[in-house]
Formats: sequence, C-alpha cells, structure tokens
Amino acid sequence: MSVGDRAIRRVSTGAVAKPFGAVGGFYALALDTLVSTPQRPFAWREFLLQTWFVARVSILPTVMLAIPFAVLMVFTFNAMLMEFGAADYTGAGAALGIVTQVGPMVTVSVVAGAGATAMCADLGARTIREELDAMRVMGINPIQALVVPRVLAATVVALLLVSVVVLVGLTAAFVFSVFAQHVTAGSFVATLTVLIGRTDVVITLVKSALFGLSAGLIACYKGTSVGGGPAGVGTAVNETVVYSFVALFVINVIATAIGVKVTL
Amino acid sequence: MSIGLPSKRAPRTRRVVQGWVTGWNRVGNQAQFYFTTLGSVADAVVRYRVETLRLVAQMSLGTGTLAVIGGTIAIVGFLNISTGALPGILGYNQFADMGIDALTGFGSALFNVRLVAPLTAAWGMSATIGAGATAQLGAMRINEEIDALEVMGIRSIAYLSSTRVVAGVFVVIPLYCVAVLMAFLSARVVTTAMYGQSTGVYDHYFNTFLIPTNIIWSFVLAISMTVVIMLVHTYYGFTASGGPAGVGEAVGRSVRTSLVVSSCVVVLVSLALYGQSGNFHVGG
Repeated sequence: MSVGDRAIRRVSTGAVAKPFGAVGGFYALALDTLVSTPQRPFAWREFLLQTWFVARVSILPTVMLAIPFAVLMVFTFNAMLMEFGAADYTGAGAALGIVTQVGPMVTVSVVAGAGATAMCADLGARTIREELDAMRVMGINPIQALVVPRVLAATVVALLLVSVVVLVGLTAAFVFSVFAQHVTAGSFVATLTVLIGRTDVVITLVKSALFGLSAGLIACYKGTSVGGGPAGVGTAVNETVVYSFVALFVINVIATAIGVKVTL
Repeated sequence: MSIGLPSKRAPRTRRVVQGWVTGWNRVGNQAQFYFTTLGSVADAVVRYRVETLRLVAQMSLGTGTLAVIGGTIAIVGFLNISTGALPGILGYNQFADMGIDALTGFGSALFNVRLVAPLTAAWGMSATIGAGATAQLGAMRINEEIDALEVMGIRSIAYLSSTRVVAGVFVVIPLYCVAVLMAFLSARVVTTAMYGQSTGVYDHYFNTFLIPTNIIWSFVLAISMTVVIMLVHTYYGFTASGGPAGVGEAVGRSVRTSLVVSSCVVVLVSLALYGQSGNFHVGG
C-alpha cells in the first residue's frame, strides 16, 4: 500500500470523515423530519405531552434567567445614558435590548439547556435499549412517532416562551430603573416604543421559532445516534448543549443583521 | 423518609409539608456538598496534583467529538465571535440612526467587557466544561465507580469535585482572554469591514473608552462564576441516579441550574464591582 492510499484510507475512516458523517446524518434527519411532518397519522398525543413537558421544565428557569439578564442590561445601558444626560431614554434602550436580544437568547438557551437536553437523554436511553429498532421492526417510523412531535414541541414552546421573557424582562427593567436607579416611571414607559416597533417583535418571534426548531432537531439527532452505554448518553447530551448553543449564536447574528436591514 | 402507605389524616397538608421538608433537605445536602468541595481544595492541590493537571488538559482541549472541533477554547472563542458582533451590529445601526455612529467603538468597549463577554463565557463554560463534568461524574456514579473510590480510601469529593473546581479556575483565565479578544475583534471587524467605518475612528473611540480596570474586574467576574458553575455541575453529576437516562437528565438539570445561577452571580458581582451608579464616566 502506498503512502497515498494510506492517507486516503485515514481520511475516509478516521477523524476527518467523522464530522462530515455527522453533518450528513444531521441533514438526513432534518430532511426526514420535514418530509414526515405533513404525513398522517400525526402523533398528537406525543406532541401535546412533549409540549407540556418542555413548557413545564422551561418556564421557571426562563423567568429566573430573564430577570438577571434584563437587570444587567438596563444597568449597563443606564450607566451610559445617565452619563449622556439621557436617562429618560432608558425605556428605549431596555426595549431594544430585551426585545431584540435578551428575549430570543434567554428563551433558546433555556429550551436548549432544559428541554433539548431532556429530549436527548430520553431518546438516547431509548436508542441504547434498542427501542427505536423495535419500533422499526413493528413498522412504526420512529421519526414520525417520536422526532416530529418533539421538534414541533420545541418550536412551539420557544415561540410561546419568548413573549413571557419579553414581558418579564421589561417588568424587571422597569422595576430596577424606577426603584433602584430613580428613572421617571412615565418617561420609561413613554420611550419604550421609540426604537422598537411591530416589525422587531415579529422578527423576534420568527427568530425564536427558528431557534426552537434547530435545538429540537439537534437534540433528536444526537439522541437517535447515541452509542456506548450510560457514558454515551451523557456525552450526547453534552454535545447537544454545545452544538445547539453554537448553532443558535450563529443564527442570532445572521437574523439580527437581517432584522436590522429590514427595520431601518 | 416517607412511608409507602397513604396517610389518613390531612393528606394534602402532609404532602405539602413533605415537599417542603424534601426541598429543605436538598438545599442542605447541596450546601454541605459545596462546602466540602471548597474545603477540600487544598487537599486536591496537594495530594491529587496529577489528576488536577490531567483535568486542566482535558478541559481546555476537550474530549470525544468535542476535541475534533478544537475543544472548549475553540467553542468559547467561537461563541464570543458571534455575540461580540452584536454590539457592532446593533450599536452601529442605532448610533447611525442618531448620527453618532462614530461611537460604535465605545459601545464595544463598554458592552463587550461588562455584559457580552462574561455572559457568553459563562454559557460556553457551562455547556462544555460543566456539562462534560456532569456527564463524566454521572456515568461514574451509575457504574458505581464513585463507591469504588470510597472503598479504596480515596476522598471522592476531593478527588473528583475539588480537582474539577481547581482545574476550572486554571482553565478559565486563558479561556476568558480568548473570549474577550474574540469579542473585541469581531465587533471591530463587523464595524470596520462590513459597515465601512474607518478603522482610525473606531480605534480612537474604542481606546478612549476602554477602561483597563474594568477588564481586570471582568476577570474577577469570570473566576467567580467558574467556581459556581463547576460546583453546580459536579453536584448534579455526583448525585445522578436512574441509569443512562438519569445521567442525561442530570446533565440537563445541571445546565439549567448553572445558567440561572451564573447569571445571578454575574449580576450581583457586577453591581458589587461597578456600584449602583455604574461607575462610568464619559466626560472625564
């Protein structure tokens, strides 16, 4: 075997091919999910259960995360605005930060950190117990029965949670600015809509839905491709968190740049 | 603990009280674990030096598939590239709206140091190092390796948990350097290369408003949140139960908790460091 052959073999089986294989597998799963979504029968029961589950594990962390984020954001904004003598515009800054950034980011980090990890753990445990293979043998498509409802549940919950985050965040920002930093309550409320309008809110909703979709897909891909016992499930969950954070941050930058182009 | 039979007298009250007691005990257990871990840090450094060094190497470059894409440092750097661009994108456009787009550099100097870099680094740490620690320790607990350590006379909390806290603090310093640099770089590239502001203007305002002590304070922030993140994640790994799915759930719960706790730490430490007024001066 020549050196070139060996190099090719190393490329095709080793560390170089593995990530490409993973990307291909993920793409295949995403495509399968897309194709299976309109197919009947739709797994309504699983969908409702998953939606309820994701919402239940996410709502408290969401609120707990929205409050410190909003406070920190307003704190930094106010430091700047007060220096300019523009403390009246606190509301505008808070709305800008919370609606365009904090809302989607907090929602999605919770959906990825709380919902997607649990989904991945659940699917991963089923995979290593060979339950998915058993379903295939019985003629049930696991993508249609398990993956589609989970992905849709993550999307729907992300869409719903972002409004909670925005409301909680704005309330926390109001309380912090008015009571801790002595901003006039009236001017805070009056300037809320100076920079942020209906388009921004729609973009935020779209962004969150996209985030939920990708977190759900990543969780399901990682969960269905687990190998190697309990440690494998733990690693898969860990990778789910890492990959979904990376994907979300990238989507966020692109969506923000597009959103800025649309609104200005 | 509780008995299996349903109680006959005031079942609802009893259940509520039992819930409180369980929660209270859980808080106590966590506090005990955290104090034991912190108390054993000296042990970890003195007696388990090799293990600590091994963990430092493992945490900075990652294991498994994470190592393929460059480990924790690459991931945190990458996350910061994408979030560091936000002050550039939002700042440039909003400032341009008011006709003061020259101040984008100032936006990067303020928001990246105080807000974006610490929070992004916290999330990156919790997702990579933290969740990895929970997964490892959880698998050890499920396979009864932790019990085996105890039987062999090794102090398991010091050996597994304290070493990870120490290693985390060692790793976070270069990690956070990368994070801050990436955030600055990406804000600068977005503003000057994509939006076409001249580099001289950007650098002037950036250098004018970058306060060196703020960066040092943000390192304090990074170290304190690392300690908290590692404590939370090792606790959840240590107490994992319920087979393979249990390990996965523990990882999920630990990520959730550490996101909330680290954000609270960032807020409280920021308020403590910068004071209520924000300690920020434009006019000198």
